[in-house]
Amino acid sequence: MSNFILGHLSLFELVLVCSILGYSQYIVLRAGVFSMATAGFASIGAYTAALLSVRIDSPLWVGLLAAATIGALAGAILAWPLARLRGVFQAIATLAFVQIVISIGLYWESMTGGALGLNGIPKLVHFGHLLLVMSMVLYVLITLSRTGIGRAFDIIRQDETVAVSLGISVVKYQRLAFVLSGVLGGLGGGLMAYRNYSLVPEDFGFPLLISALSFVVLGGRIAVFGPLVGALILTLLPELARPLADYRLAVNGVLMLLAIIYWPYGVVDTLSLHWRQRRAVRTQVEARS
Amino acid sequence: MSALELCNLSRQFDGLTAVDDVSFSVNPGKITGLIGPNGAGKTTVVNLISGFLLPTRGCIHLYGEDISRIEPAHVARKGIARTFQNIRLLKEASVLDNVVSGFHRHERSSWWSSLFGTPAARQETSEFREQAAELLSRFNMLQFANLPAGNLSYGHQRRVEMMRALATQPRLLLLDEPVAGMNDREADALGEIFKRLAKDGLAILLIEHNMRFVMSLCEELHVLDAGRLIASGEPYAVRAQAAVVAAYLGG
Repeated sequence: MSNFILGHLSLFELVLVCSILGYSQYIVLRAGVFSMATAGFASIGAYTAALLSVRIDSPLWVGLLAAATIGALAGAILAWPLARLRGVFQAIATLAFVQIVISIGLYWESMTGGALGLNGIPKLVHFGHLLLVMSMVLYVLITLSRTGIGRAFDIIRQDETVAVSLGISVVKYQRLAFVLSGVLGGLGGGLMAYRNYSLVPEDFGFPLLISALSFVVLGGRIAVFGPLVGALILTLLPELARPLADYRLAVNGVLMLLAIIYWPYGVVDTLSLHWRQRRAVRTQVEARS
Repeated sequence: MSALELCNLSRQFDGLTAVDDVSFSVNPGKITGLIGPNGAGKTTVVNLISGFLLPTRGCIHLYGEDISRIEPAHVARKGIARTFQNIRLLKEASVLDNVVSGFHRHERSSWWSSLFGTPAARQETSEFREQAAELLSRFNMLQFANLPAGNLSYGHQRRVEMMRALATQPRLLLLDEPVAGMNDREADALGEIFKRLAKDGLAILLIEHNMRFVMSLCEELHVLDAGRLIASGEPYAVRAQAAVVAAYLGG
């Protein structure tokens, strides 16, 4: 197993970067916000990190911190006009945000290099860094799930009217979800920049948005490990099934369809639901006897 | 001081006056009933009190404080809890988690401590879980604590919703048709709980259709018809009034 991991180190790096973007998508969905802004946050974070290292030679952690901070800022600003929108309207508005970010990347040539993008970015990120970042992200997400913020997110997602009747200020929590999504998206973008050597605006378009979404849909929307498992499956599968690699997109599509039809809660959530129900049946049986 | 006071409360939807010049008060330690035929405006009154709707005219005071124009989440934080006409539970979440969600109003730990899992935030969570378990055992529901709330029977789901409302430790409890769809035995069991809560000093406003249930619980009754208050007072006196008979009870 460890030989396999060492042999495919760059693949596992990719899994980790992808799942951080998946978590940016996950956190908004968890709070009941239908945001597609992750790709936009990632773009802003990636360009910030890349420019810092190319222009002023700043070290890895400064670049990543800046990427996360600017992502948070973008999330906070974006949350403002979106506070009154719900569901599919949020999705459309955030799609527009992604488009705007792409256009800025294309037209602000002096800064972003336009369509040619930024090249010669040093590869600063290695597997160890990614593991460290991922464990920090998981730590925060797990504690958040077990304390007040997670509770509020879960209530808002399931029934906004109930949330309001319990005194939860929906707008405030959804704004927090946007900021967290911005932090994770910016961070993911920064990591991409320090891994990929080069950036173009189209890296952060529709395909990225769809894959971030599919990690969450396939892996699970509620359990913290959902997006990680989703990213693992969708990134590793085409590599394990080499003969299918040419049909990568088709395989992903089929997989998504199957997941949506048969495992609509995603892999991790379906398993945990199954496990919880079995435990519930067992306690009922015990209560009777 | 009365817990809740409505003064000349009105609400119009375009041309329709759903609630028209309604004034009454709800006192702590008592169950006050609000009845009326379908479409009389009962639920509109509840939505006005809980802030989901803004009144067109008039005012709402909670223990002397004007709450008629503040947003609903803020109203809830002031101490008004409600149950819903059609039960609204988090069906996937466990019974215990549903009750824990009621404690939101009493959360003291900041977002930072929740994000980074400080001991204070963890402690708060485990305290809420203990208090929720106490509440469950008070209502003989502890054996269901870990079941998904959606798996419970209708009557038990009602109780969970009640316990969630009580977890907020409200100063006023709004019950919107709490025994709809229950048989008499279940309804009476719930009624005993309401009586006990009132005796402990809670102010309760009960919106209900079931006349027998209302008569057995309320010390004061108000009757709405077409948005207007047509009778108020002691339940048996109210029931005897001709207008009430004509509007609501029939023949």
